[in-house]
Amino acid sequence: MATKKYWKGLEELNNSPEFVQKAQNEFAEQIPVEKFLGNENQESNGTNRRDFLKFLGFSVTAASLAACETPVNKAIPYVVKPEEITPGVANWYASTYYDGSDYASIIVKTREGRPIKVEGNDFSKVTMGGTNARVQASVLSLYDSSRLTGPTANGAPATWANVDKEIGGKLAAIAAKGGAIRILSSSIISPSTKGVIAEFAAKYPTTKHVTYDAVSYSGISKANAQTFGQEVIPSYNFAKADVIVSIAADFLANWISPIEFSKQYAKTRKVSKDHAKMSKHYQFESNLSLTGANADERVPVKVSEQGKVAVNLYNAVAKIVGGNSLPSSALACDAEIAKAAKALAESKGKSIVVSGSNDINVQLVVNGINQMLDNYGKTIDIENPTYTHQGDDAAFAELVAEMAAGKVDAIITYNTNPVYTAPASLKFADAYNKVGLRISFADRADETASLANYICPDSHYLESWNDFNPKKAHYSLAQPTIAPLFAQPRHEGTRQAQQTLLNWAGNTTDYLAYIQKTWMEKVFPMQGKYMMFTEFWNNSLHNGAIEVGKGEGEVLATPVLDSAAVAAPVVAAAVKPVKEEPKAEEVKPAAVVNLNDAASKINAVKGGALELALYEKVGIGNGNQANNPWLQELPDPISKITWDNYITMAPAQMAKEGYLMMERQDREASLATVTVNGTTIKLPVVPQPGQAEGTIGIAVGYGREKAGSLSEKTGVIGQNAYPFVQVVDGTMMYGALNVSVANANETTEIAGTQIHHTLMGREIVKETNLENYKKNPKSGNHDEMLVTHSGVKKAATIDLWDSFDRPGHSWGMTIDLNSCIGCGSCVVSCTAENNVAVVGKEQVMKTREMHWLRIDRYYSSDMNKEVAKEEGVGAIDMYLEMENPAAANPKVVFQPIMCQHCNHAPCENVCPVLATNHSSDGLNMMTYNRCVGTRYCANNCPFKVRRFNWFNYNGNTDFTFNPSQDDLGRMVLNPDVVVRSRGVMEKCSMCVQRIQEGKLEAKKSEAPLKDGAIKTACQQSCPTNAIYFGDLNDENSEIAKLRKEEAEGRNYFILEEIGIKPTVSYLTKVRNCETTIEEGRKTSGHAEAKEEKEHA
Amino acid sequence: MDTMCNKPRKQILAIISFLFLSFIFSANNVSAADGAKIFKQNCAVCHSLGTNKLTGPGLAGIATRAPGDEWLKKWIKNNDALRKSGDAYAIKVYNDNNQVPMSAFEFLSDEELTALVEYIKAPPVEKKEEKKDNGGGATAPTEQGMNPLALLIGIIAFLIIIIAVLRGVRFSLKNLQNEKQGLPAEEQVGPWTELKTWMAANKTKTGLVILFILGGLASSGWYALKGIGVYEGYHPTQPIAFNHKLHAGDNAIDCQYCHSTVEKSKTASIPSVNVCMNCHKGISEGPTTGKTEIAKIYEAAGWDPDKGAYTKPEKPIKWVKVHNLPDFVFFSHQQHVKVGKQDCANCHGDLKTMTTAQQVKPLTMAWCIDCHNKTEVPTMKDNPYYESLHKKLAEKYKGEPITVAKMGGIECAKCHY
Repeated sequence: MATKKYWKGLEELNNSPEFVQKAQNEFAEQIPVEKFLGNENQESNGTNRRDFLKFLGFSVTAASLAACETPVNKAIPYVVKPEEITPGVANWYASTYYDGSDYASIIVKTREGRPIKVEGNDFSKVTMGGTNARVQASVLSLYDSSRLTGPTANGAPATWANVDKEIGGKLAAIAAKGGAIRILSSSIISPSTKGVIAEFAAKYPTTKHVTYDAVSYSGISKANAQTFGQEVIPSYNFAKADVIVSIAADFLANWISPIEFSKQYAKTRKVSKDHAKMSKHYQFESNLSLTGANADERVPVKVSEQGKVAVNLYNAVAKIVGGNSLPSSALACDAEIAKAAKALAESKGKSIVVSGSNDINVQLVVNGINQMLDNYGKTIDIENPTYTHQGDDAAFAELVAEMAAGKVDAIITYNTNPVYTAPASLKFADAYNKVGLRISFADRADETASLANYICPDSHYLESWNDFNPKKAHYSLAQPTIAPLFAQPRHEGTRQAQQTLLNWAGNTTDYLAYIQKTWMEKVFPMQGKYMMFTEFWNNSLHNGAIEVGKGEGEVLATPVLDSAAVAAPVVAAAVKPVKEEPKAEEVKPAAVVNLNDAASKINAVKGGALELALYEKVGIGNGNQANNPWLQELPDPISKITWDNYITMAPAQMAKEGYLMMERQDREASLATVTVNGTTIKLPVVPQPGQAEGTIGIAVGYGREKAGSLSEKTGVIGQNAYPFVQVVDGTMMYGALNVSVANANETTEIAGTQIHHTLMGREIVKETNLENYKKNPKSGNHDEMLVTHSGVKKAATIDLWDSFDRPGHSWGMTIDLNSCIGCGSCVVSCTAENNVAVVGKEQVMKTREMHWLRIDRYYSSDMNKEVAKEEGVGAIDMYLEMENPAAANPKVVFQPIMCQHCNHAPCENVCPVLATNHSSDGLNMMTYNRCVGTRYCANNCPFKVRRFNWFNYNGNTDFTFNPSQDDLGRMVLNPDVVVRSRGVMEKCSMCVQRIQEGKLEAKKSEAPLKDGAIKTACQQSCPTNAIYFGDLNDENSEIAKLRKEEAEGRNYFILEEIGIKPTVSYLTKVRNCETTIEEGRKTSGHAEAKEEKEHA
Repeated sequence: MDTMCNKPRKQILAIISFLFLSFIFSANNVSAADGAKIFKQNCAVCHSLGTNKLTGPGLAGIATRAPGDEWLKKWIKNNDALRKSGDAYAIKVYNDNNQVPMSAFEFLSDEELTALVEYIKAPPVEKKEEKKDNGGGATAPTEQGMNPLALLIGIIAFLIIIIAVLRGVRFSLKNLQNEKQGLPAEEQVGPWTELKTWMAANKTKTGLVILFILGGLASSGWYALKGIGVYEGYHPTQPIAFNHKLHAGDNAIDCQYCHSTVEKSKTASIPSVNVCMNCHKGISEGPTTGKTEIAKIYEAAGWDPDKGAYTKPEKPIKWVKVHNLPDFVFFSHQQHVKVGKQDCANCHGDLKTMTTAQQVKPLTMAWCIDCHNKTEVPTMKDNPYYESLHKKLAEKYKGEPITVAKMGGIECAKCHY
């Protein structure tokens, strides 16, 4: 049963002759042998054969002689060894990552005092042990040599003593004359930091604190202020939702708390024979986002229609549950909206509707839908709000106006970079320069800080103490895992911003003592578990994250809602006094919300011919880690493009407007100029199937000119799209409705990883839908059968070779394609764990990226053999149809691919020097010191997972952006893994260093190895627990049980029919689709007709 | 006694010699030997046998100083009680030594105390005939290696001279004989021509000799090449002339006292200076190099021995690594020492006899593999981790000994990753 045909990129889809020809070639470039041999000059060349032999002889002798000398290696022990350090053994510390947007409770691995790896903290009830790519990469940002090593005054290095004195004097003078002092920061969720700011404000009473987030969610909190009288962002619990409708909210990648949401979402996507149940996820959006790619039903809509989708959804739900309608206008996707509404209404109280819009009106309507569906108190908890995004767009706009008017005398910016991120219309830089005293706490001279009078660099979060309150009742601590890298006597040193503010406020308390005081007074009384504060503190610090005042499983308070009012468009929200919350002062009595007004305003929005939707990428996010090469080289999960941002456009539209279709990633892309309200940038155009027609997408976070040394080494990466942010009715809108795009008639090169290798129509990804899965757990996972002399047999059971003994362990990995959301956390985690080199844009273009683990993204089209038979389509037409670019809204699957550790590995047979062979516990071993670089193994690998070191990325001066070329950056290297040199092959080792370590621990404790004691880096970092790893010989291990349970179910091995017997298996993806795969290409129109018939 | 103290090297030699002798003539000298042992185990950290003061006073001349053997025994057993009893001399000793109390040694029996007192009153004197056993025991092989070579060259030169002389003699005799028989005198042929003539006449023999020489050259060349990167015998000069023999051998300090992480980590670790200071805070003078080397520890630790405090800046010691493995090898000490129960000496040689630490094993992969192929692991059955593996291997190999290699110990990824 052939199901869907997946194509790996538009290039494969188009299948142009050139592509086909190139796809036959193993390597992107021909080796110019002919040219070399045909060179006439060769003969007259000075070096003849005899000379060559002489040189050879000389160099061999010289090398041997040189090698005879014993190298003198120094070993320098500590003078006084810290008690907690054992050389060679890692220490782990619980801490917290929060950059003003992403929150994650983490544990940090340190070796000999150096943090080298970040993992999720299982103790946290917020992020539940999850991390994402940005959190994983943050450890490298610590060793960023672009960080300032001490304060600067007017661009010149200064001493803390002088800076403190000068700023203290100036602030005092300003305060004395009543001049305005402003602190501008991103969201602060640290109770102690808020206390410090309050102390500062007490000393300088003209101080006002303004919170500004580069990517703001103030629309949600403002809407909640109207609906519930609480200006907060609620907690969402996707785990409890049977039906999820997201209107352009990319909640798996960026929206509010993506790590938390990924963990929750994954719980609803785990299916088994006994639990054949999963959530149903609808996504209405313009760009093909990561979340949209994972949706069961994805509907492309224009940016201007997103609000209207909410209104129409409201009406559709109201129609079913009973309620008044809002004024609305018809949409092309009303049929899909009706289906979503039906599903929602059937799961009242077990559904969730979210919107990525920052428009208060849209959020009001979304609140109304959730109220009708009775979701508050169940899947959405307004009583336990999330504090991670507190940006107030209106207050920020007001501040900028104040600054422009010259009314602000001093501004202190903390963890924010508005010169880079503010909308063009606000003209922030001009306003900023009008402020007399400009102080920045930035860790580098970024776009904003470089315009400041004083930069008082903050320490990195891994060098700092801090506390966090990401959600009501959830607290966590950050502790230093290394002494500040820049400190006396070599540098003037960095200083934590909180300490600096405390000093300026005249409080000489150490910030750690200050945090302890805050916790003693505020957090300690909230809990009842510990009697002594010291005990409480030590436990909190050890665990990293705590939940106070609320036992697990306690019923969440339901907001009191008048049930009559719920159905009505006018919602009278219950007024609930909120006590002692950070936002308490902002709570105002709720007004009666008139959704009619909101709907009218939404309907009044006029779409343009071409609309722009800005988005954040999984790697770069809002751009604060733009100087991190790991994140720059992480391919975007959807476009698979690295080191760039670009315009995503529907392929049909591109063809219409004559842009180059980028048939191969090393081919050029057309440049186009995008203009919004007079601001223009020039970017390459990339075809993006699934992009709503009439829209384009551009990622923010790129075009950082002053992010650090990376842009000096590689040139500025991408273009800044933040100026396109519009300020509409006091909130930021991350898009524009009237965009003009013009072909610049220039081309540029783009480095993507998407089409290095063709799929050749094989069933690499297997897929079924929930209905079929319920009927047959093996649906979609059919076995390849072969006719043999002894009858028809399963191809995988036919074997040329004997199987090998696995007397000890037998390592195995299984990846649940239904859980994998393609976020790329594992890719960065693998890079950090295994010292994977960063190769840069140019080498990626030559298909030479080094990632041991990649995530293949396949688009599907609905044509298949059954459909062709049914509809009488001929073979040629069928194949053409299969690759028909008219698949404007393809389904997407992600498939993490690493070395499959084949038990009959094709790579092992062809190595002439036995550098790669098999271990008795089932690992395909790669011995770098034995490898001579023939690359035969890579040629023979059916999965293309082997990576060749074409250059010495750790020494060659063409690759200075590689972190291991930097004295500081080198400190992040994992000392348990070899740093590979030029000319050797490398690949996934299944984290053999972790296996060895785990085994040794078991041996030392004289006990059998516990299941779960060894986790691979990818497995540990996965926010959706999609990766299982363990010992298949241990009957009680999770993986052995899973394999047994799924043996006649979803478990399959890629390419098992060729007899390679992989160790890594996959679980069939199950989609909660309405149309079964057998029904194939039947469009939604068909399905709908059928449905209506049923209704009738 | 005094002279001995000025020559600490001789003193230690004497002690060792004495020990050596006492083992041989154990019947004659039992108590003194015990005394020496007891002294080393309990007293040597704080007391020297000379006049120099460590933590406690030097014990030279104790026989004349102290009120008597019985007093000494009481003092050693429990000096606190003795002081409290009001003993004037005890209180004087206490006050003379800055009122730093000495530990009590209640556990020593009367016989042991007698032996100890006998020993400290009259430590054995140096005996010259035993000297060859000590001190230079671990001279570097390269130094020794020169002698046979020189000898060989000497012998060859000697043989060449003999051959030349004999040739001359033979020629003269032949001519003499010819003269006697009335034959004409032979013209003297050069040795080279003669050799060529002989070679032309004896082609088989010549061929064999040439073959032999070529074979010799090839094999020595092969071994020379194999030796590249193998540093057996490497014994670099260390910044501090640390003497393993003295510490681990003579003073019987356990390896793990200093290399404390050998069972906890993959590295055995070179001790940090504070570990040295545990003992050397008290021992400022050693038997072989006196104060010079120990002063270097003080400098590294920032210790001022006069003030008895850490007042100076710390200067880490830059030891030279003796046992070097390439970066692409992951060797784990804990696997071998803790799990595999291997003795340190199996790879590091008997450091208890080495004045300068040196590499005694080749540390090549062949050497590793060889050991893994040979080493049987019957004891692992006691470790539940290995239980099922052992059972399966026993079934598979049916009575054959189970070696490390059979357990997967020679697979690449056990060491290379």
